[in-house]
Amino acid sequence: MTRHLLKLVWNRKRSNALMILEICVSFLVVFGVATLGLFFLDNYRRPLGYQWQSTWNVAIGMGRSDAEPSGDSTAQQATLARLLREVRSLGPVVAAAGSWVLPFEQGGWSSRYQFKGRSLDMDADRATVGFDQAMGLDLVAGRWFEEADAALVEEPIVINRTLARAVYGAEDPVGKRFADERPGERPFRVVGVISDFRKKGELMPNGNFIFHFASMDHPEGKPPRNLLIRVRPGTTVAFEEALVKRMQAVAPEWSFEVRPLAQVRATSFRFLLTPLIVAGTLAFFLLLMVGLGLIGVLWQNLLQRTREIGLRRAAGASRVAVHRQVLLEQLVLTSLGVLLGTLLVVQIPVLDLIGVLSNRVFASGLLFAMITMYLISILCALYPSSLASRVQPAEALRYE
Amino acid sequence: MIKNYLKIALKVLGRRKFFTFISLFGISVTLLVLLVATALLDHVFSAQTPEVHADRMLGVYQLTMRGPDDSENSHPGYGFLDRYVRPMAKLPNVERVALVTETRTVVSYLNGRKIQSAMRRADGEFWRVLAFDFVEGEPFTVADNEGGRFVAVISETARERFFGGSPAVGQTIEADGQRFRVVGVVRDVPVLRYASAADLWVPITTAKTSAYKEEWLGAFTALILARNSADLPQIKAEFQSRLRDAEHHLPDPKTFTTLIAGADTLPEGAARIFLPGEQVANPGGRMRAALLALMLGFMLLPTINLVNINLSRILDRASEIGVRRAFGASARTLVGQFLIENLVLTLIGAAIGLVLAAGVLRAFNVSGILPNTHLQLNLRIFADGLGIAVFFGLFSGVYPAWRMSKLHPVEALRGRSA
Repeated sequence: MTRHLLKLVWNRKRSNALMILEICVSFLVVFGVATLGLFFLDNYRRPLGYQWQSTWNVAIGMGRSDAEPSGDSTAQQATLARLLREVRSLGPVVAAAGSWVLPFEQGGWSSRYQFKGRSLDMDADRATVGFDQAMGLDLVAGRWFEEADAALVEEPIVINRTLARAVYGAEDPVGKRFADERPGERPFRVVGVISDFRKKGELMPNGNFIFHFASMDHPEGKPPRNLLIRVRPGTTVAFEEALVKRMQAVAPEWSFEVRPLAQVRATSFRFLLTPLIVAGTLAFFLLLMVGLGLIGVLWQNLLQRTREIGLRRAAGASRVAVHRQVLLEQLVLTSLGVLLGTLLVVQIPVLDLIGVLSNRVFASGLLFAMITMYLISILCALYPSSLASRVQPAEALRYE
Repeated sequence: MIKNYLKIALKVLGRRKFFTFISLFGISVTLLVLLVATALLDHVFSAQTPEVHADRMLGVYQLTMRGPDDSENSHPGYGFLDRYVRPMAKLPNVERVALVTETRTVVSYLNGRKIQSAMRRADGEFWRVLAFDFVEGEPFTVADNEGGRFVAVISETARERFFGGSPAVGQTIEADGQRFRVVGVVRDVPVLRYASAADLWVPITTAKTSAYKEEWLGAFTALILARNSADLPQIKAEFQSRLRDAEHHLPDPKTFTTLIAGADTLPEGAARIFLPGEQVANPGGRMRAALLALMLGFMLLPTINLVNINLSRILDRASEIGVRRAFGASARTLVGQFLIENLVLTLIGAAIGLVLAAGVLRAFNVSGILPNTHLQLNLRIFADGLGIAVFFGLFSGVYPAWRMSKLHPVEALRGRSA
């Protein structure tokens, strides 16, 4: 049966080749959009590792751009320390801390460290005392930084569970050395492990994360440009105004921009989802176009094969049999297109083009695209095929 | 002859209504998408308020400092621009040079309400390089900037937010902890005009510290207005030679040794900012290549679809073709006829696409997805659309026409095909 079908397809190879190409390209389009969507969905289901609902961000403009190495960092450190003390003393503030990076922002800081020859990439942040409370981090082992840590010989770090597992396996990481020593830098020692800190937000994957300690007493390094302030639930914009006034009084030459993290998160979602929505809309119209085109082409093809079908009917084939033949032929065509598309798509992991896609997301995207293409082509074949099966044998044989 | 072809084309289209519908649907939706994209690009890059002189304006939007190990890329800083670009105003073919910062969100609190505005700091020349529509008052001047006066020009949207739309000149606003006296109100600038859009414009010298004056990398942009658009290549070359000179005076010559930047037109500037990868020469060409690749990539599926449908249509007319060939029509005549038919179909589709695009753009403008953005179709876009449609029609017609001309007359007469 299959061989017979393949033969039928082969007999009309020229017009079928175009149809297979069309199905293959559509398959690639569906795969691309579906995989992006599934990638976001898969990430969205995982825990975020922190709470954003009642945390505010204060972005500090220090007059100089971030790109420029700043000469007067000691004075800036001192001002920032005073600022944090002032903010923490305010009534509606539950916790406040400074951080180099801002949750939900897509840019960022990443580093690579060597572990006895093996290298690991990780996203990084430098944060002050109190950051765990301001962000509602979930400490699973050890502790967060303390002001006294500045006096340690080794540099304290806090890592997330993914990184802990990658480096130490099942062992308890707290108190252990971290990474091969770099010349001229202090060695690291793990003081705590958090469940996770997905800096780029719910839609992006969780990877390795490392926190360095931003000490207020430490003379070197730039001070953080972001404050994260956890306020009591129900705190209004009126407090925002008071907050900015107080900060302005402490640091008159700095600029302050207060935004609830909810707003940062909404912006970040819009940034990530807009391309998906645009691509999805375009893909929908493309598929509609392809579907209509398939109906037309199939219809025309079957019209041309009226005599062949008539002959089958005259030789005793039932309408159902004709119906089945047309649908099966279409299934063979679709399978060939999907196969071609799949062969192209699997080059992505083989060539190691994308590191962030998990196998599960990749496989689901592939499956989704396959099912979609089969559904579309069967749906499009139904009407022409029912027309064909209605052909009267006598009429068909007369047809010239 | 052509008239005959047109007649046949219309008759053929009328005969197989379903096929015609499918083809028109594909063509019009494809052109709709391309037209909307073109309208968006036109909106960003064409010469319109306030960049009325876009054809003779260059901007220094990005600066990369590179050394053996490090590379930093950002907007240029005031220090660099002030020393190496601003003096270009003295060149005979340069009319003036303006410095302006990128936008920064500043927050104001008014009666318990929070107002967020995009603010730029600019010098007095900024208002003469660009032509804003003033609905009230006038711009601040070079003297205002040099004197460090706390004055501001605001947009109509900002006037609505701060003053409920009533006259604002002479009033004061508070933004980022500073107070400014409003001297002018301008019509809103669409957010995509990346060199000029903002809600508040205030003098550079009102910055809270003067640290910016030394910066090589920072948040500034220089806008260079040439006297004549023909002078642009010369000015670009002059900028490059000044850049080479600046490399001898780098603040940290151990870390950074090379400077990469360009005096760019609006599309070139956008290419430099948005296209990934190294900062190369000819960003305008790269932008065009990227856009063309995008367009062709998008048109791939509709084209295959249309080719497929066209083939079916042709085979349907095998006997007609057979008769014509039997009576001596050459293959070339038939190809020509079919291409014209396909062009007629595509142009009808394009007309429908144009109407749809007008509707979609109107809906987009009303939706307010991009604030202050009013996308419109104009003659330029219509011409682009026509070009795309003709290209699409020829592109999707060539292969079916070739197949058609290959039909053997005898076979075709019998109504058999391929």
